[in-house]
Amino acid sequence: MRQTRTAYLFLAPGLALFVVFRVYPLLEGLRLSFTNARLGRAAVRYVGIANYTRLLEDTRFHVSLANTAFYTVASTLPVLVIPLVLALALNRGALRTVLRSVFFFPFTLSVVTVGLTWLWLLDPVVGPFNYYLRTAGLPARSWLADPATAMWAIIATTVWWVTGYYLVIYLAGLQDIPRELYEAAALDGASGWRSFRSITLPLLRPVLLFVVVTHIIGSFQLFGQVFVLTGGGPGDATRTVVQHLYEAAFQNFFQFGAASAMAWALFAVILLFSIFQFRLLRGHTEY
Amino acid sequence: MDARDPRVTRRGFLTGAVAATVILEPARRTAAQPKAAITYWNGLTGADGKVMDELIDRFTAETGIRIEQQRLPWADLYAKLQVSVPAGEGPDLALIHTVEVPHFANDGVLEPIDDATVGGKGFRAEEYLPATWQGGVFQGKRYSLPLDVPQHLLYMNVKVLREAKLVGPDSRLKIPASRDELVTMAKQVAKGDTFGFAIGTVNPGKYTWGFHNLLWQNGANIFAPDLKRPAVMDPAALEVAEFWGALANQHKIAPPANANCRDAFTAGKLGYWIAGSWNFTGLREAKVEFAVAPVPRLFKHAVVWSMPHQYSFPKPKTADRAKREAAWTHIRWMTDHVAEWTLRAGQVSASRKAHGDPRIVGDPVLKTLLGQAGSWQVGQSTPKWVAAENVTRPVIDSVYTGQRPARAAMEDLAKQITALPD
Repeated sequence: MRQTRTAYLFLAPGLALFVVFRVYPLLEGLRLSFTNARLGRAAVRYVGIANYTRLLEDTRFHVSLANTAFYTVASTLPVLVIPLVLALALNRGALRTVLRSVFFFPFTLSVVTVGLTWLWLLDPVVGPFNYYLRTAGLPARSWLADPATAMWAIIATTVWWVTGYYLVIYLAGLQDIPRELYEAAALDGASGWRSFRSITLPLLRPVLLFVVVTHIIGSFQLFGQVFVLTGGGPGDATRTVVQHLYEAAFQNFFQFGAASAMAWALFAVILLFSIFQFRLLRGHTEY
Repeated sequence: MDARDPRVTRRGFLTGAVAATVILEPARRTAAQPKAAITYWNGLTGADGKVMDELIDRFTAETGIRIEQQRLPWADLYAKLQVSVPAGEGPDLALIHTVEVPHFANDGVLEPIDDATVGGKGFRAEEYLPATWQGGVFQGKRYSLPLDVPQHLLYMNVKVLREAKLVGPDSRLKIPASRDELVTMAKQVAKGDTFGFAIGTVNPGKYTWGFHNLLWQNGANIFAPDLKRPAVMDPAALEVAEFWGALANQHKIAPPANANCRDAFTAGKLGYWIAGSWNFTGLREAKVEFAVAPVPRLFKHAVVWSMPHQYSFPKPKTADRAKREAAWTHIRWMTDHVAEWTLRAGQVSASRKAHGDPRIVGDPVLKTLLGQAGSWQVGQSTPKWVAAENVTRPVIDSVYTGQRPARAAMEDLAKQITALPD
């Protein structure tokens, strides 16, 4: 009993901070989502679920949701595969420490730095990408101003940025796999591909689950790259839910009530996806 | 001979110390009392910010009033004002754009300024250009005082236009006098990665200030005159939107929607460029060979977009007379030294006083900017203006990139403006 009390005493500062800075804002956001709260408006009144029903009619919210879903689906495969391939290549070899650092470096940059760098790289007039295309006699493109390529450019930027992070996670997972299993497989005459399929992949499943879940949650919260690279454009071609929410909350009349409703709708979507993923992959992760 | 010990006794020392304190304290207090220090927020993040720093240093040296500046990008500044002022954490003085006055005033962020105070501080309407003076008024009350007038200007890249043989018999650059002329001349320039015409500094596709300029030239606007309904579906507005959509797609004279037009102009890849007056000092620093002309009349009227900077007083938690007086002193000082601001920051003053300064009229760019004064127009005085601008941005971008036809986009924009909350 005394031990428990001491434990709670030690936990108390952390819990207090968690409640004040996490739980309270969450609940306050939920309360605001049922009001017409707006900064500068003295009288706030409850509007029931009006903010939520308005989302059903808000076509730009629907576009944002569709764009976010597209980004999530389209970026998951490269984020899953590219770091894995690199991790397999860098799991051994003389230069692995140096190369790991090289690949991890972009992740140490802030999203704004990454965004501004790629903004310049992809600049349609003075950017190096188009310069080399022209030099090679190929047609230049407005990567970020063309609705057909803008989202793909954002995906490429993100993959470049986060690959190093997931690479480190995969490497940790790979090093956890007992070497004896590979030796036994080799003795049985298993090929490299067979070892990968029958040993590496199944034993990496918890890591894969982690990568997929964290990436999908992060994808639904996509904001920084879009904000810097395209501002949601061209038109609304790369507009995401969080950007829509941000604009409602901090650009257009500070509509905190409406923006809170969007945030909770987004939370519901992420929650559903997460439950779905855990259900899908649970039971296959033990070995 | 006095046999007493000449050394100071303890009691004597204490008495002397107390007496000295009593006598000297008021004098010390007077001498050490600092003049008021005020906080001043602005969005002068470019080269003009450095000029403001230097002028503020001089102001402090002359008046003893210290100014703590906070410089943020304009959008961040406005968001910060909106949240800080209700919390009682706003600055004593803020520099804002004219179109921000109505919504800040409507939300109680700004304090009204009565005419008696304005007159008492020596500011008179007749000393200002009308559009700038009137920009500080919302629903009959004054909320701000104008400093200067950022505005559009036509920049011409000498090297690019000479190469395109757009030079008259007098060896001066040819200036387009109409929309058709502009398109024809820009087509003469456009080839490869060089563009004939652009409007806007960066991201020309969503450059609302350029779109507004063209709307105003065609007698159109975002809101109807009663400010209650959108006017972007009016035929004049649709005509502008059609032209906007044709620039890059049909005429193929303008850079892509997300281009950095300033970089393109500096790199010699852009011929004619309508952009803000704040660009010219940077072009001079970069030693770009350029000439300027008034914004050409591309539609019915020779209107020039302008957006005066205004001094405003965010509502304080508790009134502080000394700080307010200090803020007034600064506004007065800047207004009296506005010629230097104009010459070094490149922004022509709202006050007419400096307009005759030979150094200003002797500068070809400043002279051109002043010459446009009769054509200046500002955004409509409604609290919804800025929010309407925010929803306009992606819509005109979709027109510029050819994602949507002008009419459908403007219909959508009208719906969005109608749906803006009160």
